[in-house]
Amino acid sequence: MTTQTDAEREMAQLIVDALNFEDMAAGDIVPDEQLFGEGLGLDSIDALEIALAISQKYSVQMRAEDDNTREAFTSLKTLCEFVESHK
Amino acid sequence: MAGISAPLIKRRAQDKIAYVNQSLASLNYYHGSVTGQQFLSHVKQLASMLPDHAYAINLCANRYLFMVSLCAVIVRKQTNLLPPNINTATQAALQARYTDSYIIYDGFASIIDMPQFNVSHVTFDPDDESFDIPMVALDHLAVISFTSGSTGDSKPSYKTWHTLTASTEINRKYMVPNESDTFYQLATVPGQHMWGLETSILLALLANVCVVDSKPLFPQDIQDVLSALPSPRMLVSTPVHLRALIAGSLDYACVDAVLCATSPLSKDLAQQVETRFSAKLREVYGCSEIGSMAVRCTAHQDEWTRFEGIFFTVQADQKVMASAEYIADAVELQDHVVMINESQFNLVGRLTDMVNIAGKRGSLHEVNQVLQTFPGLLDGIVFFPPQERSVPRLVALVVLSEGIDKQKLTGHFRRYLDSAFVPRPIIIVAALPREENGKLPQKKLLAFYQGLSKSK
Repeated sequence: MTTQTDAEREMAQLIVDALNFEDMAAGDIVPDEQLFGEGLGLDSIDALEIALAISQKYSVQMRAEDDNTREAFTSLKTLCEFVESHK
Repeated sequence: MAGISAPLIKRRAQDKIAYVNQSLASLNYYHGSVTGQQFLSHVKQLASMLPDHAYAINLCANRYLFMVSLCAVIVRKQTNLLPPNINTATQAALQARYTDSYIIYDGFASIIDMPQFNVSHVTFDPDDESFDIPMVALDHLAVISFTSGSTGDSKPSYKTWHTLTASTEINRKYMVPNESDTFYQLATVPGQHMWGLETSILLALLANVCVVDSKPLFPQDIQDVLSALPSPRMLVSTPVHLRALIAGSLDYACVDAVLCATSPLSKDLAQQVETRFSAKLREVYGCSEIGSMAVRCTAHQDEWTRFEGIFFTVQADQKVMASAEYIADAVELQDHVVMINESQFNLVGRLTDMVNIAGKRGSLHEVNQVLQTFPGLLDGIVFFPPQERSVPRLVALVVLSEGIDKQKLTGHFRRYLDSAFVPRPIIIVAALPREENGKLPQKKLLAFYQGLSKSK
């Protein structure tokens, strides 16, 4: 399994909590794995939940019209990088 | 000839019909209002380019291009097929059912091997000066919409031009605050869904609404678009989207009217929406077969008021049949309706195995059938327990053959189900708490599941 950085671990925990993944631990999310479609299989409802949790925890607002945000939702890794650079 | 046809739009040449907010190559990156005259010009140009087929699977994501293509298809006397989702399996199912069809799209081409037409590659010429509104035969089958449904086999609803115009004539009275202003409308739902079609497309074509082409999802996007719009503004949304808008700390431009539908809205959330947007919120009750049927001001009342022109008949078995002059057959409502008087009623729960997840309606039975076709399954059930989370999801409890992992089952679900209905969590158990006769009573199942969650 790919190891998560501390920031990725924290973000993974946020995703697992926000989406109430009872059957998955934060450590199970592979940093490079796709979050949507194949991979973790998230959908737009999940994107809203994650964006909301991120705005509450990091005070970073996600914008989908913004290409950066679309890329940010690619994987756990890109999501972390996006939040880090917008904090 | 009166009585056999009706105009494609009921707008004047200079009325604002749409507001383009996204950068569209087809419109030469124009931003701002589009008039009725410009819109008709775009419709006619596109209509002349469309291929000859009976049906168009309309996948356009930009709301303006969707509206233009929907109308161009109608002008060509073709029928729009509005899929409930963009799954490839859904498109394949439609193609198998409607063989003389093509896909009309504005983003990525479909991987399905069938005729396709990309609207975003069309460059519209500057508008002509004429303003001849095309007449559409009332019996023309303009749209076939599909109940959101949990699987690809969703049920078709047939909408003639008469159905669409007559229902919109009723809807406008309950949805648009007055007839004199132009309401700039932002909708968070796609035009392909019945709720989005009725509000964002048909009100723009046939009432005093100017609709925004973009379909923002995140609160920050919605804040941006709302503040870019002229007043008076109108927001069309769902409980899931409204909840996200309220949960953040953003301030929004004043909105004159908020319309909400697709799943029950709480009084508490309705009150918060009214405060945050300085708006009056109307919640609409409908079904995909008929469309909108009733309204309530959820922040201030529990009871619903039936639209004039919609009829409810309570049968001997307490089931309620809904009908309207503009639809062929009465529809049995899936909710438990308690009439208060001739025009008012309360909704008290669902009647059947239908579940509503984030505004999508699906059948638990169908989802369980998909589970049963999984090769590695020994025993299992998908159910919908009461849950704390904001968007409840289905839960699967499964007993799998040795060596079969959960990922395989997840992949199986995703292949056949709309993402909203893919169970989450999927919990592997040693055995289900079945009774000796094999039955699995709901109460026992719930207690078993709650025991699992606690022991975690």
